[in-house]
Amino acid sequence: MANATDISISKTFIAGLWEENPVLRLLLGMCPTLAVTAAVKPALTMGCSVIFVLICSNIVVSLMRNLLKPHLRILMFTLTIATFVTIADLFLKAYVPDMSETLGPYIPLIIVNCIIICRAEACASQNGLVVSVIDAIGMGLGFTGTLCVLAGIRELLATGKVFEIVVFAARDPVTNEGWFTPWAAMGMPVGAFVTLGLLLGLVNLITKKQA
Amino acid sequence: MGKHIKFFLEQSWLLLVASVFFGICLAGLNAWWEPKIIANEIKKFNDLAGGLLTEAEKFEPAEVLTIDIGKGKTVDTQVKKAVSGGDVVGWAFIAEGAGFQDKIKLVVAVDKQFNKLRGFGVLSSNETPGFGDKIKTGDFYRNQFIGAPCEEFTLSKVGDDKKIDSEIVAVTGATVTSESVVKILNNFISQVKAQMKEKGYI
Repeated sequence: MANATDISISKTFIAGLWEENPVLRLLLGMCPTLAVTAAVKPALTMGCSVIFVLICSNIVVSLMRNLLKPHLRILMFTLTIATFVTIADLFLKAYVPDMSETLGPYIPLIIVNCIIICRAEACASQNGLVVSVIDAIGMGLGFTGTLCVLAGIRELLATGKVFEIVVFAARDPVTNEGWFTPWAAMGMPVGAFVTLGLLLGLVNLITKKQA
Repeated sequence: MGKHIKFFLEQSWLLLVASVFFGICLAGLNAWWEPKIIANEIKKFNDLAGGLLTEAEKFEPAEVLTIDIGKGKTVDTQVKKAVSGGDVVGWAFIAEGAGFQDKIKLVVAVDKQFNKLRGFGVLSSNETPGFGDKIKTGDFYRNQFIGAPCEEFTLSKVGDDKKIDSEIVAVTGATVTSESVVKILNNFISQVKAQMKEKGYI
């Protein structure tokens, strides 16, 4: 984990993408990972919202790190995170209302997303601005990338589309055209659990081989 | 006392300053974006209701009614009149209730005399993909309500879905969702109709 001393910016960035990938290695942020990955669009919107909140909260926490009282720091982190999540929520409601509706309560729930408070505590409260921002971008991209991969697999198998673009021609029950029978279960919570489990197994297999 | 206040301020000044600063920022952003958010909600209502009452040129607020949704709970719903060439051609309002997974919100359109249902559109729902969400994505279930009489609907698992009457055929694999929609419509249509009659609109 990136610490206060001997910080390498590139290592901090790459850590979030793979070594310390919040979803696949740290198993953080499981609630949105399972809930909003039925399709790529909502997953990408959730990922972008998390990146915005991560960067902003890491900047604020990093700038205030020398003023923070140890026993009040969690309160300060929560206040900061809640502010930026509210901004993201209002922005989506104003400019991307369809996505805001699709994501429902999961945008406000970013406030309790462990990834953000974890990065505020483990990185931003102990490091300078540049390292904190790079850490936020790396972690955010790692989270978003994983969500999009998971959502891509689920959307493809559940509907034959990726990003709403037809990849497999789904069979029409009336005309019997198309060859692909959509797996409805992949669009349901069971699909999220199965896909995530298989992805975690694959990542474990790769990391064991690397070791 | 002064000592305590000094200690409190020493410990929490950052939290207090940050709270005030963030609060002001949020208030400002909310004031900036709120008109856009309200406009989005109105547009969605008008798009859904306009698709059902196609002859309507605009929707104007008519009355806010209080509807009993059971278990001692009530909700307020805004009834809007659909206007075309200065004449009222129908009514539209939001109806809501519990679905299979989450709350279902519908835009309901009826004719001028509350005799026939012009249909419903789904404002928000979170029903099971591939099954319950067919109330939103498919035409089979929704089409059964278009032109149906504004009376108590009943749900059946088999039947003729092409016949427009008060018997509604459920979506296969989504009986609970289908039942929820029927319950929401029955509850809201009867109460809105009674209150609109009482207020002299029909």
